[in-house]
Amino acid sequence: MSGGRRGASGLIVAIVVSSPVLAGIVYSILGALGVAGPGADGMSLRHFQVVLGDSATWRSILWTVWIALASTLAATILAMGAAAIFRAQQGVDRFARLVAIVPLAVPHVVAALCGVLILSQSGLLARLAFAASLQSSPADMPALTSDRYGIGLIIALVWKEFPFLALVAFALIAQRGVALEETARTLGAGALRTFRVATLPALWRGLLPAMIAVFTFVAGNYEVAVLLAPSSPLALPLLTMERYTDSSLAARGDAFVLVLLAIMVSLWGVIAHEWFASRVEVVE
Amino acid sequence: MACGGEEGPRGISQSLPWDSVVARARGTTVQWRMWRGDPSINGFVDTWVAPRLERDYGITLRTIDGQGPEIINLLVVERDARAQGSADLVWINGETFNNLRKEKLLYGPWSDRLPAARFVDSLSPIVMRDFEQPTNGFESPWGRVQFTLIYDSVRVPSPPHTVDELGRWIRSHPGRFTHDQQFTGTTFLKAVLYAENGGAQNFQGGFNEERYSGGSERVWAWLDSLRPYFWRQGRTYPAGAADLHRLFANGEVDFTMSYNENEVITKVRQGVIPRTSRALILRDGSIANAHFVGIPFNAPNPAGAMVVANFLLSAAAQFEKLRPEVWADGTVLDVKKLPPRLEAGFGTIDTDPRGIPRDTLRRYETPEVAPEYTERLARDWKARIRANTK
Amino acid sequence: MNAMRSLPRLGLAALLVFATLLPLAFLVALSVSSDWFYPNLAPRRWTGANWDLLRRSGAVIFSSLRVSAALALATGAVSSISGLFAGRKIARLDGWRGRVAVACAFLPVAVPPLALSIGLQYSLLKMGLGGRFSGVLFAHVVPALGYTTLFFVGIFAVFDWLVEDEARSLGASPRDVIMRVTLPLLRRPLVEAFALGFLVSWAQVPLTLLIGQGLVRTLPLELMSYVSAGQDHLAATAGLVLTIPPLALLVVTALAVRRLGAVIA
Repeated sequence: MSGGRRGASGLIVAIVVSSPVLAGIVYSILGALGVAGPGADGMSLRHFQVVLGDSATWRSILWTVWIALASTLAATILAMGAAAIFRAQQGVDRFARLVAIVPLAVPHVVAALCGVLILSQSGLLARLAFAASLQSSPADMPALTSDRYGIGLIIALVWKEFPFLALVAFALIAQRGVALEETARTLGAGALRTFRVATLPALWRGLLPAMIAVFTFVAGNYEVAVLLAPSSPLALPLLTMERYTDSSLAARGDAFVLVLLAIMVSLWGVIAHEWFASRVEVVE
Repeated sequence: MACGGEEGPRGISQSLPWDSVVARARGTTVQWRMWRGDPSINGFVDTWVAPRLERDYGITLRTIDGQGPEIINLLVVERDARAQGSADLVWINGETFNNLRKEKLLYGPWSDRLPAARFVDSLSPIVMRDFEQPTNGFESPWGRVQFTLIYDSVRVPSPPHTVDELGRWIRSHPGRFTHDQQFTGTTFLKAVLYAENGGAQNFQGGFNEERYSGGSERVWAWLDSLRPYFWRQGRTYPAGAADLHRLFANGEVDFTMSYNENEVITKVRQGVIPRTSRALILRDGSIANAHFVGIPFNAPNPAGAMVVANFLLSAAAQFEKLRPEVWADGTVLDVKKLPPRLEAGFGTIDTDPRGIPRDTLRRYETPEVAPEYTERLARDWKARIRANTK
Repeated sequence: MNAMRSLPRLGLAALLVFATLLPLAFLVALSVSSDWFYPNLAPRRWTGANWDLLRRSGAVIFSSLRVSAALALATGAVSSISGLFAGRKIARLDGWRGRVAVACAFLPVAVPPLALSIGLQYSLLKMGLGGRFSGVLFAHVVPALGYTTLFFVGIFAVFDWLVEDEARSLGASPRDVIMRVTLPLLRRPLVEAFALGFLVSWAQVPLTLLIGQGLVRTLPLELMSYVSAGQDHLAATAGLVLTIPPLALLVVTALAVRRLGAVIA
């Protein structure tokens, strides 16, 4: 089915879609080598040495990956649940599906602001607790924002990413789910087994690209992190921005190294996707 | 390609009389890259400065959002790509100015040619030097500010007045103090640096590595001894001044700070902090610095930019800017040099009770020192808090 | 039995609605108030001053709204159509070619916008597109196209190719197959992809900032200024203005989809 002209044109299309990014990567490599960009002072590996040798860099990457994984998985599970439960065309289900995708319209920075104002130690939740006499000062409230585990950050991200994943999941169920379930049920399977054997794999396969998209988006998002993430460990986008706007020009080249690291983190997500995709069976 | 030397790319030669500069600027647009993060400043520029520039000079003023580090990056990339300049005037000071000069990204010298320059307070080291660097005509002063703490007079009826007293206060009120990670926080660290090392005069005369090492050790010692009593046990810090204001307003901490002594007035008016907020000067010294406007090397319209800079220095513009209802930003003019009528006007501005009397401000004013001290303090502080997390 | 199934379902639906809409209600409250600090559950003052201020700086807000709308509509249109064709071509690839192609399609999505902006800034400035609408549009399409391509790869992954093959075996030309068979079946995903591309552009910050150089002023940039200035009430107001058009778009999408009724057997 593949090969020949169709294979070539497909690849060409893919490369066209990605070419601006490739150009950007090339520029970042040049910047990291000190050849181009702010703070360029001649070809050297200094920036690589400084950034890769700093333990703060690795802690930043690990922490960022943790946040991205946690929020993506949580949002995906919720999305699959919503797609499975609210499946009917009409009524409550349809209303729930409509409401679920509303946060898509809300810009990330606004969602982050809400996160701060609701979840911080002096936020809405804290004030409710105060009104219920559960606490007497902001310090009594557990820290959900700017905290080491990024709980508030994860909550805000899940709130924002769930609609996107749900949208894809709803579309998948609508396009394919009914047919699969009919098939399974005529073969005598019960509701839960039908879901597990027929619907779930199709959902996974269809959702994987979206999950990777969400993972990489979250890992690279600046606006939400700047409001909700702690100062240490520092999320990778924040660290990158810090270096890019460092008061000493010479240090700005470090930002390019961080940009390349961020891209590599995302590439690992892509590789993970390919690995999963080659293992999940297609139910025809 | 000009490198910030005697003549700019558009050839405003040094011998061109001022009237010709004004004539050349008439009917043009000036693009001014400035920080647009404060509605009061925006209001002053958009509703007072811009219409008058239009009316009196035929200049259309267009403001573009941009802060120091972004401006530098943009100018570098524009230079590398040989792209057309996107700003005629930039609002800068301190490290930004230092970096722009080092990279030869500024047009100049030009500021001494402004007619209004003769009224500038040329005896003040605050105004004539930008973080100890002589401006050499590459930037024109616009305003001046001084660092203060801000506290809530209801929550803190008797606030501390020195760094040592502040330390004691922090210890007896655990979790109620912190500072931010950006410029304001760094200024606070500098204040501690001066206080713990006998004053800013020990750091003047250029950057000295030994003096920095010795001085910063005392800063770290002071911070380390107080870290467990900071907000969130000093494990995390608000990103910027606005975040610190929010913590302060919501009662998570009892102090915030600003490098502008009158920010307390404008922030109360904007409803960002409670009405009972007051400014507070630390008697160890209140760091004063001026902010400036500069012209990038690739400015398409340097004549227009110079006319705008001159207007900003006019007595009328400086007076309006000083008013508490507008911006409350200090003037860089030496009012005694002004004609008596104008000088009298400046005297009529009452100090808002939330602010600090002018003579108190002058008494404790402390100049900035070489920009490297600021850079190193900021960088080393960040490295330390990152390393300290378990 | 139906009633038993529907009560927990209603409960879950209510939970979903509450969790989704609470922050929005909070935003509305913020936008019509001031002086709202801990520990107050309600603001000290209700005021229309925020909306007033927005109206008074009307020129700025209006023009940035127009710019945002133009950018987003163009991005949605370009990226949805291109994404469909790209996704279709890529989904049909097998083996290593398929994997490489999908990886390529991921790149615009995988690269963080901040990184992408830093990388693209030089090239676009060099081409003279810096600070111009066309440059920013190009910059927006880069990630939007990635998202829509991925979206369609997902759709085509479970697409029933038999329909196309049958049409072709009945003598339809490849062009006819696409125009008459495939596209009508994918009306709903197309509309959704348009919305997706629209949203990627509408809420974009780093790309607009770095490529537009501050000269192309969109509504999210105004919003970021308010947030970094600590103007929470104004930010909430601008945030609502920013939210309403995409919200309207989503509602229209949902209604349009219903009327178009896309169901594959």
